Amino acid sequence: MAAAHAEHLEHHGPPAPHYSSRVTPGVLGMFLFIASEIMLFGSFFTAYFFVRVVNGTPWPTPPYHLPVYVAFINTCILVTSSFSMHWGLQSIKRGNVWGLRAGLLLTFLMGLSFLITQAIEYSRIGFNTTNGAFATIFFCLTGLHGVHVFVGLSILGFMTIRAFRGHFSAEEHHGVEIGGIYWHFVDVMWIVVYLTVYIL
Amino acid sequence: MTAATLDPHEHHLTPSVRRGPVRRLLLGPGFIRAGWMFCLFGAIGFGLVVGFRWWGGWQPLFDMTPITLVSLLVAGPLGFLAGIGAFDYWTRYAIGSPTRPEDHSGHGARTWHDYFRVNTDHKVIGVQYLVTTIFFFIAGGFLAMLVRVQLARPGNHFFDPQTYNGLFSVHASLMIFLFVIPAFAGLANFVVPLMLGAPDMAFPRLNALSFWLLPIAGIMMLSSFLVPGGAFACGWTGYAPLCSTHQPLGAIFFNQGVQWAGASSIMTALNFLVTIITMRAPGLTFWRLPLLVWANFTTSLLVVIATPFIAGSQFFSMFDHVMHTAFFDPNNGGYPLGYQHIFWFYSHPAVYIMMLPGFGIMSEVISVFSRKPIFGYRLMALSLMAIVVLGFSVWAHHMFTSGMSSWLRVPMMVTTLLIAVPTGIKIFSWIATMWEGKLHFNTPMLFALGFLSMFVIGGLSGVMLGAVPIDIHVTDTYFIVAHLHYVLFGGSVFTIFAGIYYWFPKMTGRMYDERLGKLHFWLTFVGFNLTFFPMHLLGTEGMPRRVADYAPKFADLNMFISLASFGLGASVLVFLYNMITSWKNGPIAPANPWRALTLEWQVSSPPPIFNFDEIPQVVGSPYEYGVPGAQHAILAPSPTHAVEEVAAP
Repeated sequence: MAAAHAEHLEHHGPPAPHYSSRVTPGVLGMFLFIASEIMLFGSFFTAYFFVRVVNGTPWPTPPYHLPVYVAFINTCILVTSSFSMHWGLQSIKRGNVWGLRAGLLLTFLMGLSFLITQAIEYSRIGFNTTNGAFATIFFCLTGLHGVHVFVGLSILGFMTIRAFRGHFSAEEHHGVEIGGIYWHFVDVMWIVVYLTVYIL
Repeated sequence: MTAATLDPHEHHLTPSVRRGPVRRLLLGPGFIRAGWMFCLFGAIGFGLVVGFRWWGGWQPLFDMTPITLVSLLVAGPLGFLAGIGAFDYWTRYAIGSPTRPEDHSGHGARTWHDYFRVNTDHKVIGVQYLVTTIFFFIAGGFLAMLVRVQLARPGNHFFDPQTYNGLFSVHASLMIFLFVIPAFAGLANFVVPLMLGAPDMAFPRLNALSFWLLPIAGIMMLSSFLVPGGAFACGWTGYAPLCSTHQPLGAIFFNQGVQWAGASSIMTALNFLVTIITMRAPGLTFWRLPLLVWANFTTSLLVVIATPFIAGSQFFSMFDHVMHTAFFDPNNGGYPLGYQHIFWFYSHPAVYIMMLPGFGIMSEVISVFSRKPIFGYRLMALSLMAIVVLGFSVWAHHMFTSGMSSWLRVPMMVTTLLIAVPTGIKIFSWIATMWEGKLHFNTPMLFALGFLSMFVIGGLSGVMLGAVPIDIHVTDTYFIVAHLHYVLFGGSVFTIFAGIYYWFPKMTGRMYDERLGKLHFWLTFVGFNLTFFPMHLLGTEGMPRRVADYAPKFADLNMFISLASFGLGASVLVFLYNMITSWKNGPIAPANPWRALTLEWQVSSPPPIFNFDEIPQVVGSPYEYGVPGAQHAILAPSPTHAVEEVAAP
């Protein structure tokens, strides 16, 4: 590349952007992404509707059982993790770095224990994806949610690493805020999945 | 970016920059790193599948279906993306390493090499999109020619039926997912930030990533011809249970290719929405937006809401194939019709995803070349919103003969016919815009007029098909093929050509050859009608679509159609020749050859790297053509070197 030529075209940098909305782009982008995620879950719930309501598949199909109580404990863990996430965000808004670190770490560990419990549940549940429509819907809905927990955990993990490496402050904590919104979404979605698959 | 201009403290951030040329070649972002990371990630995916199956004690250990899916279609492409450098910034950010300060080295293209890199400049990405999509347009067109070879006469054995089915399936998938939808995204990528008075999109790195997902999807669909058993051969609709359990390995290439293209589409749409909401120039209210921006705003709403449903339908189909689930297996409690409901809940809105951006291009072109304000501006914008809302309520009109509950038919017919109202508003507004205007018949305008006439024909046959009795009579015949090509070729493709000719001077800084452009238009227009109009007749006579052979009584018309389609195919050569030679050494384009008011024409051709030196102030409507003293925006006077940039190749 001709250096002189490139330097000639070198610009002074972009003009200061003009923001025409009070919402920051990152937060708006996350909400739109969540809208699209809700529709993805919506398509899975449509399949659930077809199998359970239209076809009238017995739920759970005998001889299988769903571990409702273990899943309830798991639900409690995930809901609690939403509160610790919120605590971490509020701490950094007041400039409390250790509050953020503790909040993120607690949230991460609770999310991890949820996922491990889910994996153990899968291995001991006594049926697999080939055992008919009930098993199909059970594995795909909880599995889709599990993938979302995994993504949320990755985001949480990265946020934790950043927090321990001294990033984020009372003024600059967009990363925590946007990642936190996603984690809350994952939690709320689990409540819907738990109610429809295990309870109803 | 040259080493001299690099920030000094960047050197410790990217050690590969400082080390020898060989390490830089291997470890720096680019196709070489993409190559070995593709293999590495593919090997990891292979290991994961085999390891998991070994741990679970499943037989056979080396099951090719899951191995292909995980290692070749998921992990490998992720490795490719990481290797080419799409994740570099995010990886550094995620682990808390100092990120490269935004030194804008990713902005702008100085040589042709820069088009083969991860580039965050929306103008470069727009060109990358368009060139990639035209490549797949030609590939898809070639497949269509092969289809016509087979159909030239009855009893032809040029291809066996399974290969023939693969040909039209891949043709449709490429044209829809790799040409029409992303070509509109490419045009909008180039134009929308300029029209908004913004320096770039809201998320430039996300924008770059969404482009690089496209070639992955396209190559995946094309390469399905190479796998054992041949390409997926159940049509682009991939109906279950035919496509979910009775197809060779190629079917999952389709399932997964759609996922990549869909992810690209969702990310781009999200980016457009955020850009349009948060980055408009001061004074640019929603009621002053050019209609192209409105069109992309509404399209993006459709994409964000609807596209996850096709992702869902392809997941289910693929799981039935790979994990032997029972979504669509009636013997195991599944519900086969569910596939069609979920699929069409995306794919009918997708028809509008493939049409609304074209409506936006038409509004720009027709207003500029008629030298008149657009007729009924607000109603034009509102009718777009009406199409979005109605578009979600008509999906089952694709399923009148599928055996779904019969009470669904009439409501779906009513909403289908209703949707002709907002579309009609747009057609009449364009005609009223041209009424008593001062028309200039440049190539973009010719394509716009071609679009208007052809789309009305396609729209009318659409209204006919919306009526249940007619639909039942012509379901799965060539009448459908004629209808969909009148709306997708006569509609979408004509608007894409209009858009490419219209913005060609802005994108390349050079003018195209007007005479060749007009020749291209007339060849396309005539070839298109000769090819697709006779299909209406074949359809009403009962010739079925998607069959490799037909009754001898259809022989003459089919031979005629095949010959006409080769002429139509040849017309693309004129287009290619015009584009390539004009881009290389066409006459230098002025900043505003069409005397248009919208913001992208107020900067040099091609635009400066950051679009504007200062964000412009918008003061009026973008369509006040022929109104004395009307102004759309006030721009800061451009510095002297901006004039010199026009001359740079």
